[in-house]
Amino acid sequence: MNSIIVSCKNIVKTFNAGEAEVKALQGVTLDVYENELLMLVGPSGCGKTTFVSVLSGLLSFDSGACEVMGKNIADMSDEEITAFRGKNIGFVFQAFNLLPSLTAIENVALPLTVAGEKRTKALNLSKKMLEAVGLGKKAYVKPSGLSGGEQQRVAIARALVHNPKFIICDEPTSSLDHTSGQIVMELLQKIIKEKGASMIVVTHDNRIYKYADRIVHMEDGKIIKVAS
Amino acid sequence: MFRVAVEMLMHDKTKFLGLLIGIVFTAFLVTFAMGYFAGFMTRGFALVSENPSAKVWVMDPAVSSAEATINMSDSALDSVRGVAGVEYASPLYLGDVTARYANGDFQSFQIIGVDDATLSGAPLPADLLHIPNSVIVDSGGTEGKLQTPIYKKDMWSYDGSHLHAPTRELRYGDEMLVNSKRVMVAGISHTIPRFPPRPLLYTTASNFKRLIPGEKRYITFIMVHPAKNVTPDELAKRITRTTHLKAITSEAFKKETVMWFMINSEDVGDMVNMVILAMLVGFGVTGVMLYMFTYENLKQYAVLKAMGASTKQLSDMIFTQVFISALAGSGIGVGIAAVLEQIVSSPTFPFRMMWFAPLVGFLGVIIVSMTAAFISLRPIKTMEPAIVFKL
Repeated sequence: MNSIIVSCKNIVKTFNAGEAEVKALQGVTLDVYENELLMLVGPSGCGKTTFVSVLSGLLSFDSGACEVMGKNIADMSDEEITAFRGKNIGFVFQAFNLLPSLTAIENVALPLTVAGEKRTKALNLSKKMLEAVGLGKKAYVKPSGLSGGEQQRVAIARALVHNPKFIICDEPTSSLDHTSGQIVMELLQKIIKEKGASMIVVTHDNRIYKYADRIVHMEDGKIIKVAS
Repeated sequence: MFRVAVEMLMHDKTKFLGLLIGIVFTAFLVTFAMGYFAGFMTRGFALVSENPSAKVWVMDPAVSSAEATINMSDSALDSVRGVAGVEYASPLYLGDVTARYANGDFQSFQIIGVDDATLSGAPLPADLLHIPNSVIVDSGGTEGKLQTPIYKKDMWSYDGSHLHAPTRELRYGDEMLVNSKRVMVAGISHTIPRFPPRPLLYTTASNFKRLIPGEKRYITFIMVHPAKNVTPDELAKRITRTTHLKAITSEAFKKETVMWFMINSEDVGDMVNMVILAMLVGFGVTGVMLYMFTYENLKQYAVLKAMGASTKQLSDMIFTQVFISALAGSGIGVGIAAVLEQIVSSPTFPFRMMWFAPLVGFLGVIIVSMTAAFISLRPIKTMEPAIVFKL
């Protein structure tokens, strides 16, 4: 058994929507192991995105404990969490979230730029990463000039360029056609195996379940089933 | 991050343009207001400026500007001339008169009497004033106020005024009545326009006294030139100490006059209102555009935050965007004001771009932009970075 990279115990998160309370997470307990590709599945509103927001430190939680790479994120200040996230976590979003004003290579370089890496080095690393995802020739194209699949591959390159230990993918294939989706998942699987990272993939898309090491089913803010 | 901030700013051209317009507007109006201020202040102390050889000005102790004056007795001139270090001292007589033109119309003038012997203080060619009962006329920044009838039949007519008769500008040889005494126009001068604008009559001290008889005190200012071995400042103190009159250097007198206008002139209030209005409108446009720009790019900032960008880095991005817009906007705004100065500056429009005008314009832009930037930081500071997961 690989070592645990994320360990969450009894996570509770409640949103206040006017006078109503929405219990988004009701005591979620989950471990993610090193080198694991874990899929988080379930119907809309079941708490999948809230859960990954919590364990990436983008959202605070009400109670419970969450350790990421041995660090209790509840004990960290906002600045500490931000720095920790920048160094150790990569993100792939459903809507790609590329900065439209930057070229593909500049988008990929963003995590390195944020970390204060020199521009030349950041661009060199980004170029290699773009080549790794098969977009070396489109390095200087802006997102508006790329297809959805290409944009998602740029987003993947961006998520991986700083060698994070933990990658969070939110619906990485839902904006893509079947073929592009398969390409993206194969790419993700290949890269994390090469880099030895762990990955949580939030998805509705049952066509990509085959790439998972474990599938965690959520419903109404709870984990109802874990399948290998 | 600097480059990312700049790329973000330039990418949304419409908002960047809006932001720029707000800043250009602020810079232009603040600089313009300052130019206007400098223009009328310069004209406010025109009397001092057009007498550059007078390094020290002597006046009644109650006088604090070239604009509002009270006269001294004639003995003041002898007292000043008796002070050691005075090379020469010339009196200047100021008064207000109403002159009647040949068609029966009338016009108020400031009359300036100069020393008969030296004609010090009169515009060139000053010796025209040696012609008996003569005056040199100056528009003083006004337009169309020095008019006399074209035709002889409309001049000094026995059948009363010919107010609607066709007129022309005054010229050499024309006659006017001042306090029912005839004066002859010996010349037209073009000295520094006055603020407030008013036509001027230059004449000799003796003619001045003929036109305004019965006054006990005539001398308004004594213009002093110091001897070589004494500084104007030192001489001014010496004259004050010896004569108990107020003596100050010409530079100090200009500053006092500016201060007097700032306290007493309604135009300063108008100018301050113009600056405040410019800054408010500029702030409105700049603030709204910058806030919209930040708010609409909030998800991009959230993405950067998710990637580890600190709040300080994001704030620096906002300030970078504001700084670049402010630099470009103030450059354009001040440039437009400078071009406008070349176009509109005229005897009737007091506008002068002095060194402080662009500086104050830039300061206005900094105040407006920084305030807008601080307001725009709020959505960054309060944003929930988890919005990156929202579509």
